[in-house]
Amino acid sequence: MSRSYLFIPGNTPNMVQNLDIFESDAVIIDFEDSVMSYDKDAARILIQNFLQKFPLQEGTIYIRINDVENSHFEADILATRDLKIAGYVLPKASVEAIDKLNQLSSGLSIIPIIESPIALLESKQIATSKNVIGLLFGAEDYTKEMGIERTLEAKELLYPRSHIAVVCRAYNIEAIDTPYTAKDDDAGLQQDAMNAKALGFTAKALIHPNQVDTINRIFAPSPEEILQAKRILKKSEELQKGAFSLDGKMIDLPIIEKAKKVLEKAQKYGL
Amino acid sequence: MKFTAGSLESSDCLITIAPSEDLVINIESVVFEQFGDDILRVISETLKLHKITKLNVLCQDKGALDYTIKSRLETAIKRMGEQS
Repeated sequence: MSRSYLFIPGNTPNMVQNLDIFESDAVIIDFEDSVMSYDKDAARILIQNFLQKFPLQEGTIYIRINDVENSHFEADILATRDLKIAGYVLPKASVEAIDKLNQLSSGLSIIPIIESPIALLESKQIATSKNVIGLLFGAEDYTKEMGIERTLEAKELLYPRSHIAVVCRAYNIEAIDTPYTAKDDDAGLQQDAMNAKALGFTAKALIHPNQVDTINRIFAPSPEEILQAKRILKKSEELQKGAFSLDGKMIDLPIIEKAKKVLEKAQKYGL
Repeated sequence: MKFTAGSLESSDCLITIAPSEDLVINIESVVFEQFGDDILRVISETLKLHKITKLNVLCQDKGALDYTIKSRLETAIKRMGEQS
C-alpha cells in the first residue's frame, strides 16, 4: 500500500543516491524511456552497485524494465532479480509478457502498465495474473495509441481511468494513476490527483520530487475522514449491531469496513 | 581503441579506458585534493576485482561516490570485453 510512486531515471547518480530523501512512499527506478539505448548496460550496473551498497527500506523500490519485445528485457531482469527490490513495473503489459517476467524473476511483485487499448480490454486478465499487485495507468502511450490528444482537463481519460479503477477494486489490488506531466503546475496536479482518487485510484505515479507532498496528502485520509472513521468504529463497538444510525445516516457493514481501511491507512502513514 | 562510460554531470564521472602495456591511472577531479586517494583506491580495487593488471584509465570526476566510480569503470570494462 503506497500513495506515491516516484519515477527516477536509472542512469543518473545524483537522483539515484538521493531517492530516500524525496519522501515518496515508493520509487520506480527507470530503465526504460529515461535511459538511452546505448546506456542501458550502464544503468543496470549502476543500480546493482547502488542497491548492494545502500540497501533501502524493504518494499519501496521497483524497477521499470524494458518491455518484453525489447532486447534489454531479459538482461534487466537477470541483473536485478537478486537485489533487494519489491518488484518490477512492466511497460506495454500483456498476459504473455507477465508470464515471461514470472519465469525469469523469482516471485517478485509486478505492476503492469496499462498503456494501450488492447491492454485496457485485457486488464481483468492482467490484474489476475500471478504476482500482480497493482495496475499503473500510462496515459501518454494510451492517448498516442488512441490517436487522441491528452489534455489537462483529462476528459479523454475518464473511461480508461474508470475501467482500471473498477478492475483494481474488484480484484483488491492497487490502482495507480498516470503521472501528471506539467511538473510546475501544482494546482493542476491537485485537481488531477483528486479526480483520480474520486474514481477509485489508491495512488499516483509522479515524475518530479516536487510533486510528492501533494500526492501523499491527497491519497492519505483527511483529518475529517479519520475522525469520522473513529466515531463509526467506536459506536459500532458500543452497540454491537450490524446496522445503526450516526448523525442521521445509516451505517452498515460496508461503511464499517471502509472506516477500518481508513484507520489502517492513517496508521501506516503516521496520521 | 577507447571505451567510455558515465558522464560529466554532477555526482557522476566519465571513465575512459584503453588497452595498454602497463597500468596507467589518471584522475581529474574537482575534489582531487580531498578525495584523490579514495578515487584511486576504488579504481585499483575494481581493476583487481576484475583481475586486470594492464590498462590505461582516465577518470574525469565530478563528485561521484564510490559506487558510481566503480559502476562506470565496470561498464567501460564490459564494453571493452564485448568488442574484443
